[in-house]
Amino acid sequence: MTDTIVDDARTTALSTQPEAPKPAARGLWGQLKRGWAVLTSMRTALLLLALLALAAIPGTVIPQRGLDPIKVDNFLAAHPHLGPIMDRLSLFDVFAAPWFAAIYLLLFVSVVGCLVPRIRLHARALLRRPPNAPRRLLRLPASTQWRTEESAEAIGERVHALLRRGHWRVDTRVEDDGAVTVCAEKGYLRETGNLIFHLALVLLLAGIALTGLYGFKGTTLVQEGQGFANAREAYNIFNPSRLFSDANLPPFWFTLNRFSATYAASGQPLTFDAMVHYKSSPTAAAQPYDIRVNHPLNVDGSKVFLVGHGYSLNLSVTNAAGRTVYDGLVPFLPDNQGSGGHGVLRIPDLRPGQLAFTGSFFPTFAANAVGGATSLSPALRNPVVLLAAYRGDLGLNRGIPEPDYSLDISHLTQVGAVRALAPGQHWTLPNGATVRFKGVKTWATFEVAHQPGKRTVLVAAILIVAGLLVSLRVRRRRFWVRAIPAADGAGDRRTVVTAAGLARSDGGGFHEELDGLVRRIGRPQQDPQHPADVESDRSGSERE
Amino acid sequence: MAANLHLAHVSDVLLVWAVFCYAIAMLGYAAEFAATRRAQAVAAVPGESGASVDISATASGRRARRFGAMAVGLTIVGWCCHLATVTTRGLAVHRVPWGNMYEFSCMVTLVAVTVYLLLLMGQPLRKLAATATRRESAAAMSWRSKESVRCLGAFIMAPVVLYLGLAGTVLYAAPGPLQPALDSYWIKIHVVAAIAATGSFLVSGVVTILYLLKERWERRQPPLRALLTGFLRSGLRRPRLSLGPGTAAVAEMNAQRSGLMQSLPSSQALDRLAYRIITFAFPIWTFAIFAGAIWAEQAWGRYWGWDPKETWSFITWLGYAAYLHARATAGWRGRRAAVLSLLAFAALMVDYYVVNTVITGLHSYAGLS
Repeated sequence: MTDTIVDDARTTALSTQPEAPKPAARGLWGQLKRGWAVLTSMRTALLLLALLALAAIPGTVIPQRGLDPIKVDNFLAAHPHLGPIMDRLSLFDVFAAPWFAAIYLLLFVSVVGCLVPRIRLHARALLRRPPNAPRRLLRLPASTQWRTEESAEAIGERVHALLRRGHWRVDTRVEDDGAVTVCAEKGYLRETGNLIFHLALVLLLAGIALTGLYGFKGTTLVQEGQGFANAREAYNIFNPSRLFSDANLPPFWFTLNRFSATYAASGQPLTFDAMVHYKSSPTAAAQPYDIRVNHPLNVDGSKVFLVGHGYSLNLSVTNAAGRTVYDGLVPFLPDNQGSGGHGVLRIPDLRPGQLAFTGSFFPTFAANAVGGATSLSPALRNPVVLLAAYRGDLGLNRGIPEPDYSLDISHLTQVGAVRALAPGQHWTLPNGATVRFKGVKTWATFEVAHQPGKRTVLVAAILIVAGLLVSLRVRRRRFWVRAIPAADGAGDRRTVVTAAGLARSDGGGFHEELDGLVRRIGRPQQDPQHPADVESDRSGSERE
Repeated sequence: MAANLHLAHVSDVLLVWAVFCYAIAMLGYAAEFAATRRAQAVAAVPGESGASVDISATASGRRARRFGAMAVGLTIVGWCCHLATVTTRGLAVHRVPWGNMYEFSCMVTLVAVTVYLLLLMGQPLRKLAATATRRESAAAMSWRSKESVRCLGAFIMAPVVLYLGLAGTVLYAAPGPLQPALDSYWIKIHVVAAIAATGSFLVSGVVTILYLLKERWERRQPPLRALLTGFLRSGLRRPRLSLGPGTAAVAEMNAQRSGLMQSLPSSQALDRLAYRIITFAFPIWTFAIFAGAIWAEQAWGRYWGWDPKETWSFITWLGYAAYLHARATAGWRGRRAAVLSLLAFAALMVDYYVVNTVITGLHSYAGLS
């Protein structure tokens, strides 16, 4: 029964893996060779695959800097002891962690180390004649034998031509005793596909590395009616890659003419459109473009994506003397509660003292049951801003940088109560300053990304899928037909024909194919009960 | 364009019918299974009839066939209702019917049932059996192929009913438009590939579990009585007798055993079936990931960002890749490889259920509130 198991090993193999030669060398060189053999073995590759899968899991459970830096900060604040240790272990940047890189780099080294000898072997197999038939064909798992009146040479020629037509690689060998053996093999594409698949994985890694080294990504907030010129200063967030230099920034430019959003009655967003005019270079003509979600602007090798939007309020502030000290757009950053967002306005040069406002904006304002404010929809139907005014030292001179969108009120005193304003309304503070809500405009955030390795990655992806399809669909199989002039010489059935096949890769239909082949070669039909069983001739004795 | 609520209601009613048909079909398959076992138990009594008794000729054998035919009929009716529920949903909301988790679940189970029906039609088990049982005895050969695919029916219907039940209750989302982020032709490419692969992996997962059970059953020593009859029937005729697991003698003895596992195809046939389904689904899954990457590049400006959904689909991919490699590695074939494929399937379920509901990421399209 051992041959069954061997046969199974061969047939279920993903592909034909060469046997690793036993290293004979001693000393350091021998150790290295042995280590290399272990690293490039299938078992190690299997282990590394499993390890990589395991290593990726923490990256989906623990907050990641690359995905949500605020969550990481919150986690660190909540776990003052555990947090820093986890940070040391790169658990907040799993996918950039050295141990994660070590696993996949080892995996790729293992793949390359396995590929090189296999490419050599496969090239040799492609050039070589199909392997000779085993001496005892009937020993093979699928085999059959019959007698015919046709001569051995004639059968050999006929089978050779038949297999050639079926795109087999065929080789006919004539032996001294007059026996003719046709050796055929098919399905070399399986290993070709397999090699292409693994090589394409390496190419994929190269493409990813290219993006990681030379690309950039930036986010910018643009108010309706304002423009953006592609320079580092124009970005709110800019993430260059390791080898990126500002000279690589393409000099394009665009203005946001209008941003519009439509919503269903339930408040679910339906469409977002950012209508822009862009120039690919300062001298080019401006062209209109509608940037939507899933519809980025492609300019100069970079892509401009619409990633967010919100409202900005046109506010003006006059001092007690009636002089305008502020007139402009204040962007309100949306929170996730469905309101129009929150904004901060700082008036540092209102003499005497400094003034600041915090505001909550409600695009469709309504009072809720407990007397608080709520927005029924993100659409602009009944815009109201709730403003709170603060007086005191804004800390601008203390040199403590404060984010634009939040206000530290610990050193400030609130002036009056919170006041609700609709567009056109104004509020005069006790100190004589007046804030006016002049109108609402929208802003949009855009992400600009430049990924130079993108095309390489795409090509690699196509090769990966194609190689995979070929290596999993094509079956490698061998087929032999041997015709021997019978010892009892003359008579009607003077030639003994033996046909046998060997599947070298798993997959259905092998026995049907062999059965069809031997029938076309001329084996008399029998046993309609088990048409698939080529072996039925021989194994009759084994069955009841 | 508001949703057609009347048509959406028709879709919901059809879903109930589909689940109902599948549930009854599951009982039918189970009844067939039980009746076949009884027929085999009768046939296995020594001395009553020959070893190669035709099970289908006995009374319980005929009953088994009737149950089986009824179950297949109901599966087809259920499948038609299932197809109709998806189609009417799509027509009701004027878009592709796989925009949220409820609709995705409906599609995945539709694919799973389709794969099962295709297997039933194509009967690849016949071919598989011809290869797998080549060296096994005539008794093992005599199980009828169509019924043997059918006996997977109960095990396929169970998760399908569970899935659809879950979809119709917990995951249900009212008919509505797509979120702007999903409004792209890539939803037809990326999501369809993901659905096709997930549905196929579901079937391969069921077959793999059955493989593990059957393999364990085959490894266990057969009961003494079966051992004796087997020895008397086959052992004396043969010059040498080996009793290791998987040998022809043991296969013949196993044929004399009764029990739930007896009616299942041989572990080799199940292993090969699972492998064939996975080799069908794995390239589709790979394509789904790449299509998703292209879409992500268009929607978010990066093709890969280690978003939880992306990471778990990558883990699933690694798991199935490990399974394929394990099948070619000495010492990992069989049980270990099967466990790897089940782990990969578990990762797929995490990707699908846990990521959509618990872990928040960019792929928050579940439509759950």
